[in-house]
Amino acid sequence: MSTSAGLAFAALEYLAAAGLVAYVAGDSAWIAIGVAGLLALLAWGFFGELNGMFPTAAAIRLYMKRSMDDRVALVITFTYMTTIVLVIAADAFIVGTALAHAFGESGWVSALWIAGLLVLAVLSNLRGVHVAGWVQDLATYGVLAATLVVATTALVRSGRPLRFPLEPLHGHGAGSLIEAVALGVFLFSAFEWVTTSAEEVRRPEHVHRGMLVAVGLLFVVCSLATVAMSHVLDHHQLTSAYPQLLLGRVAFGQAGLWAMAAVTAVTALNTFNGGFITASRFVYGTAREGSLPRQMAKLNDRAVPWVPVCALGVLALVVALVVSLTHSWQLLVAVGAALEAMIYAVAAFCTLRLRGRAPDHARPFRVRFAPVLAVLGMVVFGALAVVASVSVGNRTDPVPLVVIAAAAALSTLYVLVVLPRVRAAEASRRAATPRRRPARPATAPGEGS
Amino acid sequence: MATAEELAEAFADWRERSNGNPRLKKMVRGWDRVIHFVLADGGEGFTMEVRDGQLSELVPGQVGTPDVVVTGSSEDFCDMFWGDLNPSEKYMSGEITLAGSQADVMRIDAISMVAFLDR
Repeated sequence: MSTSAGLAFAALEYLAAAGLVAYVAGDSAWIAIGVAGLLALLAWGFFGELNGMFPTAAAIRLYMKRSMDDRVALVITFTYMTTIVLVIAADAFIVGTALAHAFGESGWVSALWIAGLLVLAVLSNLRGVHVAGWVQDLATYGVLAATLVVATTALVRSGRPLRFPLEPLHGHGAGSLIEAVALGVFLFSAFEWVTTSAEEVRRPEHVHRGMLVAVGLLFVVCSLATVAMSHVLDHHQLTSAYPQLLLGRVAFGQAGLWAMAAVTAVTALNTFNGGFITASRFVYGTAREGSLPRQMAKLNDRAVPWVPVCALGVLALVVALVVSLTHSWQLLVAVGAALEAMIYAVAAFCTLRLRGRAPDHARPFRVRFAPVLAVLGMVVFGALAVVASVSVGNRTDPVPLVVIAAAAALSTLYVLVVLPRVRAAEASRRAATPRRRPARPATAPGEGS
Repeated sequence: MATAEELAEAFADWRERSNGNPRLKKMVRGWDRVIHFVLADGGEGFTMEVRDGQLSELVPGQVGTPDVVVTGSSEDFCDMFWGDLNPSEKYMSGEITLAGSQADVMRIDAISMVAFLDR
């Protein structure tokens, strides 16, 4: 449970929560988050069934490969991997900016913090440092508890009643509420990344139960934090890169600001640990499988795939610095929200398709009314992906769609043009390598095997 | 289905290559683990131990508490031990499954790859 909630509750969560406020009236954001939570439950059902069928870190490859053409599966998977780069970059940016603000340093110092954090993350990954399970649990529960306490205290201290807590449409159109829900889905995003740890769990059914509890917990914490921010922060503060620090200051003065700076830094522990391991091991596995160049499968003496780790660090650094220079973190939120909704729609499709293609495959967990819910999931998450991809802040903006289209185009180009060459080179290398296993002696007629 | 003798011969070759590989010794230094191999196509499985940077001989049956459990067909294990099969492909297709921590899973794959880097 803590792994699922910890991966979802990245530092970007605070910015997404603050951004969501603009779409609905007063302090009613919790309603959009509640609807998003129900949709996350729908996604939980799909991931629960698929992960139960394939309890392995390679699950996403397995269920997508069996549900659709492998080239399409690879394009979608590579595009989805963009989310991990974005979340790592976003967390580096947010933590760097929060620390720079807490120390009262000027803007450019945050760039140094960002670079320092990512270098630290890369180096610790290369040395094979793993965050122990109990540290991860402590970090997750600490972050969630601190956020709850700060949000509740800020609300109580304001001394004012909530504004329009039950009227999200007051002065807003229905379209705004849909945009808020799309952004709300992003607050739950990455809860499903826990499925990559399936092999570590002695009882795989614990994975989907943990995800369910994590969704509930995320709803409570995100709702309270969002309502507290909408209630006590003004528009200028909500659109800053560190609204959680300002919330902390409202609750407990300067000590609260420092506390939230520390909490923000701790969120990066889970994001960097989970994100780097998930992405680099996936790239390694895909390279070993022959779908990426062999260089991506190079290991250092600590059995760490160092090329993907370094590449991920460099990519995240570039994205984080660009965001820092352009102040375009809301764009990151929009791209992440759209990609997450897309992968939920894909999970719905895979659930439905595998019910037809592999009806007898063991399913420790089955979604009830799968045909209806899967179609519903495809339609709803597909629509939310489209909405999120053309919406930044509370205005229409096609840039997120352009970013996603560019990532998809690059993935497609790789899969259609480069991959056949990579596979052909691998096939000819293998053909030139003689088998070492001795041939079995021929069986004489009449002899059994 | 590979016979027990075929598996033993294949493993002996793998063990010799692995234990004689200086890079691999570095990679498994301090990584003392009990690994169970379960045969999905029937037959008795076996246990391997990694201790002090060395792979032990195969012990028939499942002995001790495993850190990692590897499940696959005897044919795939045999081919893997000879270096004729890339276990990652079988893993990514779901034909070989593992239960254990991500770091341990990576080490096992590392052993299977580094032992045959010359191929």
